[in-house]
Amino acid sequence: MKIAVLSCIHGNFEALNAVLRDLDHQGAEEIYCLGDLVGYGPHPNAVVEMIRSLDIPTCQGCWDEDIVEGLNACECSYPSLLAEARGKLAHEWTNARIHEEVRDYLAQLPLTLKRDDLCFAHGSPQNQHEYLMPEMNAFAALERVLAVDARILFCGHTHVPYVRTLEAGTMTVRLHHTPDQREQAFTTPLRRIVNVGSVGEPRHGRPNATYVIYDTDGDQITLREVEYDYEKTCAAIIDQGLPPIFAWRLAQGLEFAERADDPSHVCER
Amino acid sequence: MWAILTGIEGNLAAYEAVIADLRRQPVEDLYILGDVLGLQGPVGPLLERLTHPQAGELTPQICSGFWEEQYLQMLGWMGGEPRREWVEPLMAAVPEGAVAWVRSLPFGFFELDCLLVHGSSQGVGDELTPATPPWELLDYLVRMDAHYLFTGRWGKPFHVELAESEITAEVITLDQPPLSQQARLSERHVIGVGTVGRIPGEAHYGLFNPGTGKMVFKSVAYGNP
Repeated sequence: MKIAVLSCIHGNFEALNAVLRDLDHQGAEEIYCLGDLVGYGPHPNAVVEMIRSLDIPTCQGCWDEDIVEGLNACECSYPSLLAEARGKLAHEWTNARIHEEVRDYLAQLPLTLKRDDLCFAHGSPQNQHEYLMPEMNAFAALERVLAVDARILFCGHTHVPYVRTLEAGTMTVRLHHTPDQREQAFTTPLRRIVNVGSVGEPRHGRPNATYVIYDTDGDQITLREVEYDYEKTCAAIIDQGLPPIFAWRLAQGLEFAERADDPSHVCER
Repeated sequence: MWAILTGIEGNLAAYEAVIADLRRQPVEDLYILGDVLGLQGPVGPLLERLTHPQAGELTPQICSGFWEEQYLQMLGWMGGEPRREWVEPLMAAVPEGAVAWVRSLPFGFFELDCLLVHGSSQGVGDELTPATPPWELLDYLVRMDAHYLFTGRWGKPFHVELAESEITAEVITLDQPPLSQQARLSERHVIGVGTVGRIPGEAHYGLFNPGTGKMVFKSVAYGNP
């Protein structure tokens, strides 16, 4: 069976529709969403209504949390004052337009979802704000998967898709100064972290929407890239009075001004 | 040599026993990993002793612990819910005016390649033990880029050595050819230093040589407080 996993739609209704068409074409029978339904983009309510109408199991992303809790991220969230000002503008714009029932829906979203040995989270199982980068220390990455007793951890948040396979993990543990002094060798079976990219605000260098299809039959993961009319979303961003740089970076599929200085930092607000 | 201790919890007699024992050791630095406050005795005299060491004694470097966090939560200086049943006895044990001192305590210390905290790098309430999954212990060390993590929340002395850690990985992206990764970590250690004041008549602390990595666990008997 094919499972489609998408994340970081960010109010981009055009991109969401294109991905829904593509995953239907690919024969996906189940869909999971890893959050960040709102923020940056011009159609937050329409995106949430679509996700709800399709009854797609969804985790809460960091933007979804901010719209519910109020923007109270610590200073670590933004690498510059300019980036912070833009982020706050986007938050205020979204906050002013979001429907109350949409806010209620975002408030009740879980931080993680499990389906057998598959785990779904926005950033990491421990924190919606944590970036699991592909170059993150492999032991730390492995811990994120083992901590939730999963075989595959699906995440988003970085907006750049990848599949990271962690294998042949070994460790020797020696206990000293305890009643049962001993030495024990540990090995870990193969584990994977799958970053599903971003539907509505990609940062892999092209404006196309990205998501992932996981085929349970062959244990096969496919990174999908979907072309759509991104210029329509760019025009809507400008028409709605959102910062024009959001349209520019959507058109580029890149993020310059708001690239995190220290992506491994976890906001502990 | 460093002396590392925690969990005095207001037990001045236990602390005096440790200080007396330290006079016989070549100790250059004294770290107290929180839990100066607690319910094992009145905290006022202990605070006076800690902040005004006698001639020839080391000035302790003290960080925050579980009880300090509880105290600040009770007074509204920190978020989180303190345990209701501890509010009254802790407020009675801690002298008025201690709040400024408690608030001034750092979360922990990072000295050389050693992280010294009360619980874990994430919180003072985290109880690391020999039964904590090794991958989780390694994660705390890797996150902070430390070789040694000293902790005290559990209250019992222990030493977990994580050695010969290796893992291979492969990353596939949309555009790049598959990237192979190999990670190999040098030896790491998580060390629990026991508790000074929680067990009547028996104070525990640790001596650590940061030059050699040698750890000695000390136990000092003293009269019941």
